[in-house]
Amino acid sequence: MKDKLHIYTIFSVIIIVIVIAVLIGGILTPKSFGDYGHYRWKSIAEIASKEVINQNVEVCQECHNNLYLIHKKDAHYGVPCVDCHGPADMHVKYYKSDSTSKAITQDQATLKKEYNLEGCLYCHRKLKARPADFPQIDVKEHYTFLNVIDSTTKCTECHSPHEPIFLLTEVNHSRLHPIISQCGDCHTEKVDNDYSKVPNHPKIFECQDCHNEIYADFESKPHHNHIECTSCHLFHKQNETSGRMYKNGNAKFCLLCHETKSFKNPDYPPKIFWPEHIGNLKYLANINQKICLNCHVDKIHKMKLDLKAAPHTVNWIKEHGKLGLNASGSDFNPTCNQCHETNYCTNCHQVKIPHPNDWMETHHSTVEKKGKKVCQNCHKPAFCADCH
Amino acid sequence: MEDINRKKFIQLCMYTSAGLFAGYFFGFSKNEVDVTNLSFENLEKFDWGYVIDTTRCIGCGACVRACKVENEVKDTYFRTWVERYEINGKEVVRVDSPNGALSSFSHDNFDSDIVKAFFVPKICNHCYNSACTQVCPVGASYHSPDKVVLIDKDHCVGCGYCVQACPYACRYIDHEVGTADKCTLCYHRIHQGLEPACVDACPREVRIFGKYVRFCMNADSEF
Repeated sequence: MKDKLHIYTIFSVIIIVIVIAVLIGGILTPKSFGDYGHYRWKSIAEIASKEVINQNVEVCQECHNNLYLIHKKDAHYGVPCVDCHGPADMHVKYYKSDSTSKAITQDQATLKKEYNLEGCLYCHRKLKARPADFPQIDVKEHYTFLNVIDSTTKCTECHSPHEPIFLLTEVNHSRLHPIISQCGDCHTEKVDNDYSKVPNHPKIFECQDCHNEIYADFESKPHHNHIECTSCHLFHKQNETSGRMYKNGNAKFCLLCHETKSFKNPDYPPKIFWPEHIGNLKYLANINQKICLNCHVDKIHKMKLDLKAAPHTVNWIKEHGKLGLNASGSDFNPTCNQCHETNYCTNCHQVKIPHPNDWMETHHSTVEKKGKKVCQNCHKPAFCADCH
Repeated sequence: MEDINRKKFIQLCMYTSAGLFAGYFFGFSKNEVDVTNLSFENLEKFDWGYVIDTTRCIGCGACVRACKVENEVKDTYFRTWVERYEINGKEVVRVDSPNGALSSFSHDNFDSDIVKAFFVPKICNHCYNSACTQVCPVGASYHSPDKVVLIDKDHCVGCGYCVQACPYACRYIDHEVGTADKCTLCYHRIHQGLEPACVDACPREVRIFGKYVRFCMNADSEF
């Protein structure tokens, strides 16, 4: 009897321990733990309920629409407001005067406006690792080139951060693009001295000082006799002295001089009959597109017709298959559609070229209808077998 | 003596459990935020996609600064950072990320002869079969239903196993709070229809974010 009591005691102690363990486990395990997995379900809501600090462009645009409209048209269109002005959560709360805004001082709500040189150089410092097509500045070179003496000069004194393509053109800030800055901006009377002898005088540039290669091409060809650099590259907005540099004008722009009705001299400029000039090639006859330069590469400066860009040689019908596909032959080369209508290839090849976006799903039915030979017009016979 | 001890022991047990019960109702029961707009079924439909196009990156560090502010990341810790790889003519490779590229990069590491150089923004990969969630002993690190790797900071004990387990060094121990911490893919932003702070701040569209299905189609038509 006494032995059995021992066993009961041991078991009851074990059971009590288990019960207490389960109870403690139940107490310490959070309510929603294990609802949908081995984690506390409601922690998701806690994480998701955090406040947004960085405001995005749409929020800024609500009040600063005028700045936004300027900003989105220019080269900095992809740079969101936060990058320069900082997070605007306090700013938005303060000026929208929510109940929470009482604790915020105006100091906290003020956004950063002045940006120092370093700030611009975060993006624009010259580094080998940056993509070559991205505008990069070596400050030392830039300043020596422009004769800037004060090394604390900020970028924003000449460049407008919202419209970086425009240069600011107050006369005081005469370190400007040479085409824009002229002697007359500062001098009211005629000056005889050579400016290079005047100390601290900003340098006055000519186009050829920087763009000498282009200028040499331009100089030796007949365009030179009739127009200047500024005829194409610079326009003044009304009541503005700042200029925008234009490149690659559309067909309309070229036709300003070259269209039949604008001829003053019967020999020059060369006549272009629009749209017959491109009509024979089944070109997209849209005057607003930059299609002249597709064939007349560098024609403007060098006056040369580039036949590689416009591959219409004598053997075109035999050779165009090579150019129609990319180097490995696996994909379509989209250059045809830069000039020709989209159905131009389709007329002969019977399949939509380039293939539509949902081609992966729809090509079975198309091939069933038209036969496998359609593929072999362009692709090698093994091409289908790669996947099938 | 024995009897008294047992009695005392049982008394002690009762008091303890009573105390725990009382504590449970008053102390331990934390008011949890109620899930209103997020339901498990809804979340399961999401599958986020995040692409980094390294060829476009200019290493400005705008993403790093935005992330620091948005998530209140402490000094010297980073949830996202930008690395620079530079290879010279003798095939010497240098990789650096001064202060996580918080204030961009100040100079090239090689004086000349750089054959190839590029920036690589780094961020948590939110792996499907992640090493870090598997090692967590308390269930504080987990996959949310929309496949984001998150940390329940109330539950984390700061043991640091996950920090060691992550092969991409994307986790760190926040020593002020004493818990692990990592990128949440700006969970609070993406469920308000915004993009993560780093994606929003990128001036060159290096980082692209969206729902996975839509995203695949975009990538298909682009490449």
